[in-house]
Amino acid sequence: MLPLNYAILKLFVSGNELSVQGVIDKLDKDYRSFRAFKPKAINESLMSAEKNGLLEESNWELDDKGELHVYYKATSYGVEMISSYIK
Amino acid sequence: MGNSIELKQARIARRSRFFKKGVIIAVGSGMLYGVYVAALYGATGNGFWLDWYGYGDTVTAGWYDNVVDPTMGGIAMSFVIAVLILGALGSGINDFISAIWMIGKTAVKGKFMDYLRCFASKPGAVMVLCALIGGPIASTAFLIALIMAGPIATPISALCPAIGAIIGRIVFKQQLNFRMAIGIVICVVATFMIGSTAFTGFEITDPMFLAGLAVALISALGWGIEGAIAGFGTSVIDYEISISIRQLTAGFFTLFILTPALFLMAGAVGLYPTMLFEALQGQIMVDGLLASPLVWFLISGLAAGLSFGFWYKGNSMCGAALGMACNGGFSFWCPFFSFLVCGLYLGWEGFDLYPIQWVAAIVMVVGIFLIAVNPLELFKKNREV
Repeated sequence: MLPLNYAILKLFVSGNELSVQGVIDKLDKDYRSFRAFKPKAINESLMSAEKNGLLEESNWELDDKGELHVYYKATSYGVEMISSYIK
Repeated sequence: MGNSIELKQARIARRSRFFKKGVIIAVGSGMLYGVYVAALYGATGNGFWLDWYGYGDTVTAGWYDNVVDPTMGGIAMSFVIAVLILGALGSGINDFISAIWMIGKTAVKGKFMDYLRCFASKPGAVMVLCALIGGPIASTAFLIALIMAGPIATPISALCPAIGAIIGRIVFKQQLNFRMAIGIVICVVATFMIGSTAFTGFEITDPMFLAGLAVALISALGWGIEGAIAGFGTSVIDYEISISIRQLTAGFFTLFILTPALFLMAGAVGLYPTMLFEALQGQIMVDGLLASPLVWFLISGLAAGLSFGFWYKGNSMCGAALGMACNGGFSFWCPFFSFLVCGLYLGWEGFDLYPIQWVAAIVMVVGIFLIAVNPLELFKKNREV
């Protein structure tokens, strides 16, 4: 089993474009029991990955409640780094 | 249209929250570093350390004026080895206790299994390498530089934010423009101003002094490499896990490999277990003041773990240039907290704060501001409003 942060990044290598909710949906089955598996922590993890050039924003929208959802995809540099560091 | 303005504002607000949090964490890392150093002074200024450092009955001076007793445990050794042994022993105990704190924190937060998984992975191996470069290697280089060149080693080693920013730019393609470079230079100048109070007469042509400066640069390079690489690594590994790996590696290597090796070089390897045990001994309170090295080490270890963890996280959230500049405030926070803890609380001499250090702190804030924000854009915004 991969560490949670690795699993989050690995999701993007295959070309997925995901928001925080998308990440939760994809990993819920395996990581639901993790105490760090929370929207706030996942959001920070995605933003840090963006800051370090691994991911980039691909889309954004406001839902009916006025909450912002930002979608991310991996950069070509990110695909290269994630693939080489996380097996 | 209304929706698109709302959307834009929501995105700006989200980025702004993330940015502010990153800056607060990075500045906090520098403050906690000051607490760690002050508590480390507390640990190594009590118990058996008093005799080893040759303080006698009272501590009358700060680190730079220490006179190390080169006949520790009755075994004569060279002054340099004696200084290195005490430095390695102190930082090794601190880092090892810090590792216990940080591993405990990952366990409490339910990340212990992830900690073990990360340790055995490629990014984990990179963290171990970073810990060795920034821990024992850079720290020992810093101690040697202090011996050879004196207190000027401190501001030289504080060139690490500049080195970290350059590495971040070249290796990780992070942003580094002319404005940010100017900001970094201002921060480095501020660090020199803070350190200048400890400058004593030195001979610029003395080969020992020049070699000391070169060794101080090694420590700056070590910390610069660590800050840039570990900051990036923290975008892959959770920061609490990163720092637990860092402290365990640095603590284990320094305390159980480097320190006994130094004792061996001094021909006093038998003294190692005795001094390791004695380093933690001491009365809890003396004259109503905390005097137990163990308790001081518990405080310094906790502060060090939190400080380095925030350093990694801040660098990952802000980029190496801004993160390390904010963290670089430690050159002010170290004398500040040492003044509070050692000067005011413990009543030791040699921990005064000078006006130039306050001025330098303000200069540093200007430098950090310049790295973080383009003043022209602020000006533009005001005009738009």
